[in-house]
Amino acid sequence: MKALALSLLTLATAASGVLAEIPDRPEKLSFSALSYDPPKPADYRVQLKAGPVAYIATDRALPLVTISVMVRCGAYLEPEGKEGLADFTGHLLVRGGIASKSAEELEERLAFLAAGLSSGIGDDSGSVSLNLLSKDLPEGLALLREALTAPRFQKDKFDLHREQSIQGMKQRNDDSGSIQAMEAERLAYGTNFWASRISTEKSLKSLSVDDLKAYHQKWFHPANFVVSASGDFDRDELIAKLETLFANWPFTGEKAPPVPANPTMAAGGVYLVDKDVNQGRVSVMLPGVKRDDPDFPAITVMNDILGGGGFTSRLMNRVRSDEGLAYGAGSSFPGGVHYARAFQAGLSTKSRTVAYATRIVLDEMNRIANTPVTDEEINTAKRSFVDSFPGTFNTKAKIAGQFATDEFTGRFAKDPEYWSKWRSRIETVSKDDVLRVAKQHLHPDKAVILVVGQKEEILKGHPDHPVKLEQLASGKVTQLPLRDPLTQEPVK
Amino acid sequence: MKRFLMSVVVAATAAVPVFGQKIPVVEKELPNGFKLLLVERHEEPRIAGGWVAHVGSANERPGITGIAHLFEHMMFKGTPTLGTTDPKRDLEIINEQEKIRELIRQEESKMRTALRRGEVTDITSPEARTDRYRELEQEFKRLLDEQRKLLVKNEFDRIYTTAGATKMNAFTTEDMTGYFIEVPSNKLELWCWMESERLLRPVFREFYAERDVVFEERRMRTESTPTGKFAEQFNALFWDAHPYNWPVIGWPSDIPAISKKQADEFYGLYYQPQNITLILVGDFKPDQAEKLVGEYFGRIPKGNQPPPEVTTLEIQSSAEKRYNAEAEVNPQVDILWRTVAFGHKDSYVLEVVEQLLNGRTGRLYKGLVLGRQVATDAGAASRPMKWAGMFNASAEAKDGKSLDEVEQAVYAEIEKLATEPIPADELQKVKNNFAAAEYRRLTTTFGMLYQIIFSEGMGDWREINESGPRIQAVTQEDIQRVTKKYFTKENRAVAHFTRKAGTGGAAGEDADLAGLAADQKPMARQFTKRIAETTDAAQLKAMLAGIQGQPAGTDPKRQQLQKIIVRKLESRIAELEKK
Repeated sequence: MKALALSLLTLATAASGVLAEIPDRPEKLSFSALSYDPPKPADYRVQLKAGPVAYIATDRALPLVTISVMVRCGAYLEPEGKEGLADFTGHLLVRGGIASKSAEELEERLAFLAAGLSSGIGDDSGSVSLNLLSKDLPEGLALLREALTAPRFQKDKFDLHREQSIQGMKQRNDDSGSIQAMEAERLAYGTNFWASRISTEKSLKSLSVDDLKAYHQKWFHPANFVVSASGDFDRDELIAKLETLFANWPFTGEKAPPVPANPTMAAGGVYLVDKDVNQGRVSVMLPGVKRDDPDFPAITVMNDILGGGGFTSRLMNRVRSDEGLAYGAGSSFPGGVHYARAFQAGLSTKSRTVAYATRIVLDEMNRIANTPVTDEEINTAKRSFVDSFPGTFNTKAKIAGQFATDEFTGRFAKDPEYWSKWRSRIETVSKDDVLRVAKQHLHPDKAVILVVGQKEEILKGHPDHPVKLEQLASGKVTQLPLRDPLTQEPVK
Repeated sequence: MKRFLMSVVVAATAAVPVFGQKIPVVEKELPNGFKLLLVERHEEPRIAGGWVAHVGSANERPGITGIAHLFEHMMFKGTPTLGTTDPKRDLEIINEQEKIRELIRQEESKMRTALRRGEVTDITSPEARTDRYRELEQEFKRLLDEQRKLLVKNEFDRIYTTAGATKMNAFTTEDMTGYFIEVPSNKLELWCWMESERLLRPVFREFYAERDVVFEERRMRTESTPTGKFAEQFNALFWDAHPYNWPVIGWPSDIPAISKKQADEFYGLYYQPQNITLILVGDFKPDQAEKLVGEYFGRIPKGNQPPPEVTTLEIQSSAEKRYNAEAEVNPQVDILWRTVAFGHKDSYVLEVVEQLLNGRTGRLYKGLVLGRQVATDAGAASRPMKWAGMFNASAEAKDGKSLDEVEQAVYAEIEKLATEPIPADELQKVKNNFAAAEYRRLTTTFGMLYQIIFSEGMGDWREINESGPRIQAVTQEDIQRVTKKYFTKENRAVAHFTRKAGTGGAAGEDADLAGLAADQKPMARQFTKRIAETTDAAQLKAMLAGIQGQPAGTDPKRQQLQKIIVRKLESRIAELEKK
């Protein structure tokens, strides 16, 4: 209200050509208070009699419905040598046809209805999602039920997906970013950790339709499901429909075991992959934390100041704005659900400045671990998190989806007030906390530094910046071989 | 009959969104020329704000390609009061820096002369700098160090971030430069302050470091990706006269040659109020918003002369163009046809054609991947732009299939569209998807802003509401007419990508070539490819006779190569004659 009064006043003077009321600094503006309360899980949570928990958010604004079934399964349940099994099962669950319709008939029907029915299985979860016009909901639910209970896994579609997957596999070394992603995973979690194992031509060729069927029957049943639904429906009617969707399951499976959590990070040092591109990619890695670590809010604020906050972060200011060395520079400290996810800082810069830009990243890690951040920095980070918070729940689909994910990952059971407390947990982080967690977790001398790019040029360094790759971290440079994209065997 | 009935029913219900879901835009104009578009939406306590300057790389000229995009970066560098603690000294330093830069440019001119004369081979390496150049760089750095003491780094961003704003960014295309952000709904006045200040009195500090950032962006997007360099060259081949033929990011020699003076001139010409549209979507009252915007943006003086429009029209193409590249990609075919500009009456038909071809139930996937089994993936995209347009079809070859086969299969699908009736339910399927998309696009405040920016930047925001009904009105006759008109041989450029030797893994290797020396393999692959793609047996026989007529020589390596090529030729001839 105050802001409005001020505006009207300025407008009046503006009309007479005097503009003195527009201040010279934005801090001099005042704003009305904005209060916001996040939605509460209890208002959306329904324990279905048929087994799964569902989060249901009615939204009558548009004639659309989204229903998503999360499934406890994932690549972590693949037997060794069968890498790719989870992806194949997830992809073909919908794309391989269902009991009453061939794959082709199902595709045509969905396309005609302008409906999306998709399925997929990732590292530690699977999902089957339906998005369609609300007038088609009954038919869509019938198709969803069939996809969940009676997928066909048509042989020709299985063969096609294998062919396409192998075709895609050939591209693994084409882009330096893809090499970086694969090698970073292996260095951060160890080659023996399940999440670092990736499919090969051989593992895909060992798969059969029967493998997919067995995997599906083992894990796809209501005890492993969590559901989210949002859109144009009556809540009670939808609950009744979901009860029918999950009733009388035709088979009993197993309860999914916990996700193994025993990664090991490689020894500190520089690891170099030679790849002929004129821009080197750098990842600086250190062991991280799980997201339920009591320090996680402080770590989140610390990382935002270091490199998570985009243009307000130190890495962006130093590497990009000051030096013009990279288009993007930043860091992430993600906090794992099942196991500690690695801290990672990264950038891409021309070959000759790789060592210099990396040195800046390490220096900044050192600085934040040894000197308190400024009041302005911590204020920016905290205000940013707190005042952009409504975006977390800005659509009904996001409300249902976020709460269902919390149920699925166990956060709701462990910390049911998580979202209502989230802002105050961020607000209470102090400069001392930031310094403490930085000191505890950021040890540049122990960092694992992955570099992908033109070896010869990178090792030359730059005449204006006398720093060499060999002088970074623990001083050891190990050359990693490029791996054959189809076999993952080292290439000479 | 049953099928027909169902189409009608679906069509009837699908018709509702098309005519019922217009985005309610209120259009206003400020006295100084700004256009203002407002959309009220109270689903979330946020406001998405943006503006689009009607300028893109098509407005550039050789020598300053990339300036529209570099300029976009400079708009985040602050104002006299944002970004520095001492505006007066800051401006003095910038002027002193320019003087040194002028001397550096003279050195660069000498370096280019040396390059032309062949005295040096690479003027981009740090070792190529002349002594004078290094001296000047040191002087420049001294000024930079002094300026840095006064700088408040990225203050423009920090103020927004501290206010809870998100998604701050900008983009540049051939046709437009768009800036956008989302702020809490109580911060509309902050948006007005920040955006009007940077339009009223921007300061392009740290210009040269930012120019380096843009070059790193070029390395990241174009030079160090598997297809970037090729896509850029293919695009340049496709357009003859039109300025669309240079890349938005700019040619590699132009980016480091752009001066701050040129950026100042560019700002004066293209960032006048009458060349900019302001857009707000979200949780505000339109009359209040209009007042605030008027108050803040009204301060910016109207420009003296309207910016020039792009007058060059693409010439009529008189021949097909072909492009052959060896890259780190799976073998693939990429075809571009010249079509029409945004808002052209045929553009809606081409959108329908795109969707008839696209997706897992589209004709390219069904025809090439499932039917003929010559490809593992295929897709199409209609791309009308502000001044001219193109249509793209691409497909990745299945192992063992030649790129000619894949290319011909694409033409066969297009030919069918031009000559055979399209089943009513297939056309209805495509229209149903366009109709449903009319709802799906309304899900978020920010998404709506983005659509309006884009449509307005292309020439007219009204298209967001008018294209839907026009697409629904497309008939089979339209499709046949348009397909015949644009998908001609003279109108197209065709790229064949083959995999670069030694990449893609062991299985990518032709077993017949295994025994060859590494330096022979590229040549053998080239031959093998050319043989596989040739469809004229007589031509192959002539090649065979030519090779057999040559003495094999005594080099066993050479004999081995010759033997393999002869074998390839013989088997291809046999294959062709069997058909």
